Amino acid sequence: MVSRFDQQKTKHQLFHVSISLATILICMTYMQYRRNWAHLGSFWDSLIVPIVFFGELLKVILARFFGRIEDGVLTVKQRQKKAAYFTPRELLGGLTLQFLCTLLYAFICIILGAPVLANYEQTFVLSLLMTLLTVSPTVFLLGGGGALQVCFCEKPDFITKCEDTALHLFKYNALGGILGAWAGSVVAPLDWGRDWQVYPIPNVIGALLGSALGNIYACTHVLYMCGRVYMSKKRS
Amino acid sequence: MNFTYLFVLIWLAYLICSGVLLFSRGFLLARVSKTETSSCRRLSLNPNDEYYLTPEVVNEIFKDVNASSSSNLCLPQKSKVIIIVVDALKYEFGLYNESITTEPLPYENKLLTLHQLLQQSPDNARLMRFKADPPTTTLQRLKGLTTGSLPTFIDIGSNFASPEINEDNIIDQIVKTDLPIVFLGDSTWTDLYPRRFKRAYSYPSFDIFDLDSVDNQVMQHLPKELASDDWEVLIAHFLGVDHCGHKHGPIHEEMARKLSEMNDIISSVVANMDNETTLLIMGDHGMTATGDHGGDTDDETNALLFAYSKQHKFYSSADSGSDSEMLQQIDLVPTLATILGAPIPYSNLGLVNFNIVPAVDVPHLNKFQTLLLHAWQNAQQIYRYFFSYAMENKRSFNVEQMESLETEFILLTHRVKSIYNEAAYKSFVRDLNVHLRDILNVCREIWVKFEPTQMSQGLLFSFLPIFFAFLLINNSNASDFEKIFKSKEVFYVYLMNIAAGVFGYRYFKNFSFKTEEHGVIFFTALTSAVLLAFYTLRHSNSIANNWANVKRFGHMPTRLLLFATMAVFFSNSFVVQEAKILSYLLAAVILLLVYELLQLSARLDFKNKFKWSQFWRSTALRLILASVLAICCIRFTYTLFRCREEQGDCADFSTSTPGFSVKRPSMGKTYILAVVIIVLYTTLTRLYLRSCGNLTGNSPNVVLARYGPTVASICAGGHILLANSAIKNIQRTHIDAMALVIYGLLLLQIIVVSWSPLMTFVLPPKNPNSISVNGRDSIVPEIFRKMKRMYEGDDAERRHEIPVVYGLATVYSSVIISFGIFLAMLMVVLLEPRASIGLIVCVVVGAIILSVHGILRYRTANSFESCVQPTFSAVVGWFLLAHFCFFATSHQTTLSQIDWRAAFVGRSSALGQSHLISGALVILNTFCGPIFFYCMYALLSTETFSLFALFPNLIRSSSNGRSNNKPDASTALNDIATEAVGFDMTRGELTLYEYENVFLGAGFKLATQFFMLQGIKIFCAMLACTIHCRHLMVWKIFAPRFIYEALATFVGLPALIVGYLLLLRINRAVDGLIKRINKDK
Repeated sequence: MVSRFDQQKTKHQLFHVSISLATILICMTYMQYRRNWAHLGSFWDSLIVPIVFFGELLKVILARFFGRIEDGVLTVKQRQKKAAYFTPRELLGGLTLQFLCTLLYAFICIILGAPVLANYEQTFVLSLLMTLLTVSPTVFLLGGGGALQVCFCEKPDFITKCEDTALHLFKYNALGGILGAWAGSVVAPLDWGRDWQVYPIPNVIGALLGSALGNIYACTHVLYMCGRVYMSKKRS
Repeated sequence: MNFTYLFVLIWLAYLICSGVLLFSRGFLLARVSKTETSSCRRLSLNPNDEYYLTPEVVNEIFKDVNASSSSNLCLPQKSKVIIIVVDALKYEFGLYNESITTEPLPYENKLLTLHQLLQQSPDNARLMRFKADPPTTTLQRLKGLTTGSLPTFIDIGSNFASPEINEDNIIDQIVKTDLPIVFLGDSTWTDLYPRRFKRAYSYPSFDIFDLDSVDNQVMQHLPKELASDDWEVLIAHFLGVDHCGHKHGPIHEEMARKLSEMNDIISSVVANMDNETTLLIMGDHGMTATGDHGGDTDDETNALLFAYSKQHKFYSSADSGSDSEMLQQIDLVPTLATILGAPIPYSNLGLVNFNIVPAVDVPHLNKFQTLLLHAWQNAQQIYRYFFSYAMENKRSFNVEQMESLETEFILLTHRVKSIYNEAAYKSFVRDLNVHLRDILNVCREIWVKFEPTQMSQGLLFSFLPIFFAFLLINNSNASDFEKIFKSKEVFYVYLMNIAAGVFGYRYFKNFSFKTEEHGVIFFTALTSAVLLAFYTLRHSNSIANNWANVKRFGHMPTRLLLFATMAVFFSNSFVVQEAKILSYLLAAVILLLVYELLQLSARLDFKNKFKWSQFWRSTALRLILASVLAICCIRFTYTLFRCREEQGDCADFSTSTPGFSVKRPSMGKTYILAVVIIVLYTTLTRLYLRSCGNLTGNSPNVVLARYGPTVASICAGGHILLANSAIKNIQRTHIDAMALVIYGLLLLQIIVVSWSPLMTFVLPPKNPNSISVNGRDSIVPEIFRKMKRMYEGDDAERRHEIPVVYGLATVYSSVIISFGIFLAMLMVVLLEPRASIGLIVCVVVGAIILSVHGILRYRTANSFESCVQPTFSAVVGWFLLAHFCFFATSHQTTLSQIDWRAAFVGRSSALGQSHLISGALVILNTFCGPIFFYCMYALLSTETFSLFALFPNLIRSSSNGRSNNKPDASTALNDIATEAVGFDMTRGELTLYEYENVFLGAGFKLATQFFMLQGIKIFCAMLACTIHCRHLMVWKIFAPRFIYEALATFVGLPALIVGYLLLLRINRAVDGLIKRINKDK
C-alpha cells in the first residue's frame, strides 16, 4: 500500500485521528476543570457524553467532506445508498439500533458485575458512552442497515473508499474503548479508598483512555507507513 | 496400554510438588522445639525430706538469689487445682450485664454462678480476659496452654493428626512432681499426653454435630472424681459450647441451653470442692460471629478465665504487680507451676500472674519474699531458655538487640539481691515484667523468620520443571511424544531419580541440609532438571521448528487474561477480592471464545445481506445466548460467595455491630433450590447420555449410569433436606446412610470403570452370513456409516445385517461424564446446600465452554492433531473455571473459614474415626472445583468430536465458507468434513481411536499444559510470599493464600493424572471392543 502525506486518504486519516484525540483531550481538560470526578457517572451533570457525541459527529462530517471529492466516481448502488441516507426509515433504524446497543451494553455491564438493582444511571451513562464509542459512528456514517451489514457480513459493495477509511479507523476506536472499559475495572478492588474508584468512573476513564490509545496506535501506523514510503523514495 | 506418558506426568507432578513443599518448609518456618526439661529442688514442709524448709534455708536462699543452689527451687504446693476447660468460652459469655432485663440474647447472662461468686467474695474470685495467640484452633491452644510457648503458623495444618508433645510441658512437670492428674473430656488431651494421667475419661472430639455426648459422659464421671481425693489436679474439658457454635452459632437457643448446663456444672463443682482447692474455668479460644474460629480477630482470641478459691484469697494485683484485667494464655503455665509447686517448663515464655494464685503463706517467708522468689524463678527460667535458644540459632537474632537484652537482664540480677521491702519489690517486678515481655516480643518476631535457602531452592525447583515442560512438551507435536518418551528411557529416569533420592537421604548432612527431606528433594530435583535439559537439547531441532511456526503475538488477549490471573497474588486487595476478579476474568474468557467464533463464522453465515430471520436461526446466535447464560450463571454465583473480614461489611465477622448474627441464615428456599438443581443436573446428563445411545444394553457401566445417578441424586437431596431440617428427632445414622450410599456409588463406579468402563452396546447380528465388508479397509467407519444410514431409513442398508454398536460416537466422553456425575454427587453431599448450587452452576458453565469451544475448534482446525488439541483460550478458561469453582462453592482463602463440617458427613459410626478420611473429606469439600474439573479435563479434547457426531448438520453449516464452491446438499457430510479437516468428522469419537497415538499424545500434552498453568500459579503465589514476606498482611492474607494454592496444587495435579488414567483405561477398552468386533466378523 502506498501512502503519502499529500494523499487524500492519508490526510483524511490524520484529520480523523486528530479529531478523536482532541475529543479525548477536551474530555480530560473538562475532568481536570471539574476536579471532583464523582459526577462522571451521572447523566445530567457530566459533559463527557455530549463531548464524545460531538466528536463522533465531527468525524462523520469529516468523512462526508472527503467523500465529496469522489462523488463523481460512485457506482449505482453507492448512489442509491447515499440518497437514502436521510429517509425516515434509515433514521429510525439507526436510532433503534443504537438504543438496542445501549441496552445490550447495560446488560453486559450487569452480567460482568455491576449492581443489579442499583446505580441505573451510572450503568446507563457507561453503556451510552460505550455505544457512542463503538456503534454510533458507523451508524451515523452508514445508517442502521448498513452498520449491521458492515458488522456481520463481508464487505458490502455500497461502501465508498472514503467510508472504508473511516470505518477502518472506527474499528481501532471501538476496540480500544471496549478493552479500556474492561481493563478499567482493575483499580476497583484496590484498597486505596479514593472517591474515583467508585463503579462507573474507572470504566468511563478507561474507555476514553483506551480509545485514545487505539487512535494513537492507528496514528502511529499511518505515520509509519508514510515514513517508510518517504524513506524509500528518498533513497531511490 | 502405554503407561509411559502416565509416568512422565507423575514425574512432573512430583517435581512441581516437591518444589512447593520445599518452599513451604522455608516459608512457614516451624520453631525448633527443644527437648530439655527443667527440674528443681523442692522445698518441702515435711521435716523428713531432704530440703526441709527452715529459716536457715531461707536465709541461705536470700544470701544470693542468683546462686545455683537457690536458682533451681520450687516452693511448696499451695493448693489442689481443678481446671475446667470449656471449649470456645468467649469472654463475653461470662460477663454479667445487669442492664439487660428483658430477653437477653442466648449467650448473655447465662453463667450466673460466676457473677454471684464475684459479688459474694471479690477477693476469692477473679474474672479475666484470657488472651489466646493465633491460630485459635483447639490443638494449638492446648499446646500453648501446656508448654507456655508460642504456637507457630504451620502447626495449624496438623490439627487432624495430633502428635504427642515432646517439648517440656506443665503436664509432665506435674506428673514428675508426683501430683496425680485425673482427666475427663476431649481426647485431644490424651493424644497429646498419652499415659500421663492417673485416670483418663477421654472421648473423641470427633463429631461436631454432637453437642452433648462428650459433655454428658464428663458430667457423669465428674461428681465421682470430685469426691475421691487421690488427685491433685483435675482437668475436665467440655466441648458442647464449641460444637454448638460450629453448628448453630452463638445466637441460638441451643447455645443458651449449653451455657446454662455449664453454669450448673460450675455451681455443682463450686459446691463440692474443698477448701484447699483452686478452681480455674477457662475457654481455650473465642468464636467469631458465626461461631467458627481459627483466625486472629479479637472475637476469636478473647477467651474467658475465671478463678475461684473457697478459703484462700488470691494475691491482689496491688501486692503482686500483675495485670488484673488480662491474662495471656501462655502465662497459665508458670502460674499453674507456681500454684502446684512444680518447676516451670523449660521452654515457657509466660509470666506468673499472681492474681489467680491463692495467697497461701509459706513458713519463714514474707509475702513479698514468696512473690519475689516465684517471679525470679520464672525470670531465670525464661532467660535460660531464651539465651540457649539464641545461642543455637545465632543467625536469626539481631546481635545488638540481644546485647541490650542481656545487659538489662544482668542489671536485674544485681538489683534482685538488694530487695528488702515491699516497695522495692514492686518497682523491681514492674521492670522485670517489662523486660520479660520484651523477650516474648523478640521471640514472636523471630518465629516468623524465614529460611531463605529453602525458599529460593523451592522457587527454583518448582520453576525448572515448568520451564522445561514448556520448552519440551508444549512445543512438540502430539504425535512426536512417542519418540520423545520411550518407556525404557522413562524407566531409567525413574531409576536415576531414585538413586539421587537415596543419595540425598543418606548424605544430606554432608551438604549441610537440615532434614533428609530437603536432601532428597534437592538431589532428585537437580537430577531431573539435568535430565529434562538433556531431553530438551536432544529434541531442540523439532522444538525450534515448532516454535518458529508459532505466531509472534498469537493469543495475546488470553495471555493478558492469564497474566491478570497470576497478578492477583501480588496485591493484598486483589487477594481479598479474588472471587470477583476470577469471575470477571472467566466471563472475559467466555466472551473471547464467542468473539473468536463470531469472527470466524458470522461473515460466513450471511454472505452479502444481513437478514434478521437468518440471524435468529443461526448457530452463532444460539452460541451467543448460551454464553450469555454462562455469564449470567457466573454473575449469579456472586450471591454464593463467602465474604472475608477485610471486605468490610462481612456478616461472618460483624465486629461493628454488637452481638452476633444468626448462624447460616439460608432459608428453606435455598435447600429446595439446591435439590431442584441437583435433580435437574442428573436428569439432563442422563438425557444427554441417552441421546448419545450410551444408556442402551446392560454392560455394567451402563446399568450403573442408568440407575446410579438417580439414586445418588435422591440421596443427595434427602441428605440436604434432612441434615438441615428443623425436625429434631431424626437419627443421625439415617442421614448418614444417604451419604454412605453416595460414597458407595462412587466406589462402585471406580470399580466398574477399572473393570469394564465402556458404555456401548453391540447389537448382535441376526444373520452373520450377510455381512460383506471389504476386508482391506478398516471396519469401524463402515459399521458406523451403515448404522447411520439404517437410522435414516435406508431399506437397502437394512438388508445388510451388520454389527450395530450403540454409543460408539461418544465412547470416550460418555464414560468421563458418567464418572463426573458420581464425583459431583459426592461433592454435593459434602458441600453445604448453597455451595452445591455453586458447583452445579460451574458444571453448567463448563458444559457451555465445552460446546462453544467444540465448534470453534472444528472451525479453526486443519488436521486431526489441531482438532484434538484445544485452543489456548479454552484451556485457560477451563483452568480459570476450576479455580473459580473454589469461590463459587462458598469458600474463601482464610484459615478460619475452612468448612470442617465436611469431615463428619456420613461418619456417625460406620466409617471409623480415622483422621485420614476426615482430612480427605475436607480436602474434597474445599478443593471440589480443581478436583472435579481437572478430573474431567479430557472432555476438552473429546467433546469436539461427540458434538459433531450428535449434530452432524453443524459440519455443513460451518464448512460453508471454508470451501469456496458452495457444496450442494447432496454431498455427504463426511466428504465435507474430510475436505475440511482431513478426516471424517461424522464418526465422532471413534476417530480418536483411529488416531490413537496422536490422541493419547494430545491428552498428555493437555495435561502438561494444565500442569504448567497450575505450576505458574503456585510459583506466583510463592514469589508473592517471598516479595511480601515483611508485609503487614503476610500472615493474614498472603500466607493463607499460598497455603490454599499449595494444597490446590497438591490435589490438582493428582486429579489431572487421574483424568489421564481414565482416558488410558477407556482407550484400552475401546481397543478390546474393536478387536472383538473384527474377530466376530
